[in-house]
Amino acid sequence: MALAQQAEIKITAETEIQDNRMLKITDLHVRLEDEQREILKGLSLTVNPGEVHAIMGPNGSGKSTLSYVLSGREGYEVTKGSITFKGENLLEMEADKRAAAGVFLAFQYPIEIPGVATMQFLKVAANAQRKARGEKEYTIPEFMKHVKSNAEKLNVSQDMLKRPVNVGFSGGEKKRAEILQMAVLQPSLCVLDETDSGLDIDALRVVADGVNALRSPDRAMIVITHYQRLLDYIVPDKVHVLSDGKIIKTGGKELALELEANGYADIVENAA
Amino acid sequence: MNMMAPKTAAEHALGVSLPSRRDEEWKWTDLKRLVEKPYALTPAAADTKLVERLAKSAPLAALKLQRIVVVNGKLHSKPDALSVSTSAPVIAQNDPVLSLNAKLQPQIIGLSFLENIDQPIEVLHITTGQGAAIASRLHIAVSAAASATIIETFVGEGEYLNIPVTTIDVAAGGRLDRVKIECEAKAAQHLSHVIVALADEAKLNDFTLTAGAALNRQNANIDFNGENSAAHVSGSYLLNGTQHADTRLVVDHKVPNCTSRELFKCVMDDKSRGIFQGKVVVRQDAQKIDGKQSSHALLLSETAEFDAKPELEIYADDVVCGHGTTCGDLNHDHLFYLQSRGIPKAQARAMLVEAFVDEAVEAIENESVREALFALVHERMA
Repeated sequence: MALAQQAEIKITAETEIQDNRMLKITDLHVRLEDEQREILKGLSLTVNPGEVHAIMGPNGSGKSTLSYVLSGREGYEVTKGSITFKGENLLEMEADKRAAAGVFLAFQYPIEIPGVATMQFLKVAANAQRKARGEKEYTIPEFMKHVKSNAEKLNVSQDMLKRPVNVGFSGGEKKRAEILQMAVLQPSLCVLDETDSGLDIDALRVVADGVNALRSPDRAMIVITHYQRLLDYIVPDKVHVLSDGKIIKTGGKELALELEANGYADIVENAA
Repeated sequence: MNMMAPKTAAEHALGVSLPSRRDEEWKWTDLKRLVEKPYALTPAAADTKLVERLAKSAPLAALKLQRIVVVNGKLHSKPDALSVSTSAPVIAQNDPVLSLNAKLQPQIIGLSFLENIDQPIEVLHITTGQGAAIASRLHIAVSAAASATIIETFVGEGEYLNIPVTTIDVAAGGRLDRVKIECEAKAAQHLSHVIVALADEAKLNDFTLTAGAALNRQNANIDFNGENSAAHVSGSYLLNGTQHADTRLVVDHKVPNCTSRELFKCVMDDKSRGIFQGKVVVRQDAQKIDGKQSSHALLLSETAEFDAKPELEIYADDVVCGHGTTCGDLNHDHLFYLQSRGIPKAQARAMLVEAFVDEAVEAIENESVREALFALVHERMA
């Protein structure tokens, strides 16, 4: 009996340590299922609650692949390594289960879905997540109120909410709609894939304000971007340089400025 | 036509020759092979309890409608306020379905609309004729400047062959909204024919949902006899198992300045097969015709099939006519996007199929009927 109790205590302690790390990626190797080409070649990354991590890197370094592997898109094969999210094996979960567990990907190119009204889509998604977590589903008035207050902050009009998901939205509208979804779904890990692409300065500010409003001690963010510009608005705790499928350098927010001034070439060469 | 082929048991029983795949219009729906049973020409008396149960579970049972109930091809009940006549125009029997219908001497049910009738009227066809061939004949006449909304719903139980023929006359400036809901029994065979004549400035808005029956063949002829008339014909298939549905739609522009629109959105799962044969004829003097036809198919399994045969036969030189057909699988990017927001795969698939079908359902003008159809599609997808 005494032994069993000891073992139990030990497990609890371990679980607590894991809980403190929201996301732990260890030596991740990923290739496209259709091709033999390896895209991620031993990527490791640890993200704690409350932290904002920026991932920067040249084209083709594997940034979008990382976002898709985190969110569970089909077509990628993990050949080695692991991803643990809140102590659970993320790679064993389907995309919808990951979303319910708290992973959210803001798409670089949000998908247009004809025939599915935005408001309806949001409600189905929010309630599906609540159901999966064993929580009570939103009533319609509750949900309308929840969406409305968030939509106002992000300049998302009632008209946009009535239209089919992303159909006929401008580039800026699509990105604002992504952040609205994030605000409505309240994920614990937000992965923002080149959220700044295609945005002018004003739109960028609205989107960044929306993202900053969601920063909290129990929520983490991974901001994937080419440019320093976005990081002026969403100030990261850590900056990682991704090159050829691996993180080759990690620093504070000043690393982004250095990259902006000198380009990726020096760092990539030094790492090689 | 089938001169050499020996008569099948079904042909002997029905006393007619059925078309085979050697007949161009029937090449995908070989009735000689598909209609196998030696159907009886008179059905047994309908079981009252069964009729009641089918009426209660019919797709629009919850809607408050004026309702005419037809049981095994015969008028069963109707609202007192509604008068039904027993006359209808004589039609040519130059088609296997029409001649089979005529051979079974169906009771004629005639509905005339002299003014604008706001409340939709449902003609609920309940078929319980186990092992029998059943025919019905409905005639809808819309007078000049009048309008009406008619829903023809088909439900049933057992193995039977249903052969409904509907003729429609829309007089000058009249408008008919027609919705057909084919939810026949799973094992049933449904061969229908609708013939529409449009006078000057007449309008037809027609939607057909094809969800029931093992075998379904729907012929439609729409004749534009008067100028400035318009027809919007749309439809959806929701097929699974080994269901087979074939629509042969012929739009005949005989006069100038008319518009025709056709939109079919068909969903095939399992080993089901959908066919859409749409023909637009524009006669020599029928100038300024605006005719567009499109059919789109969603194949949910690798063994499902869709065949499309669009035909344009144009003799006039100043017309705008076109057709388009697409056929594909659910879009994987759409599916991933929905899943990435927490919607389970099965639910995401159902949402996307509904969105696909809803584009055709949206053509239904009457809001309560349209909402009921959205709900019916939703229920079928769940």
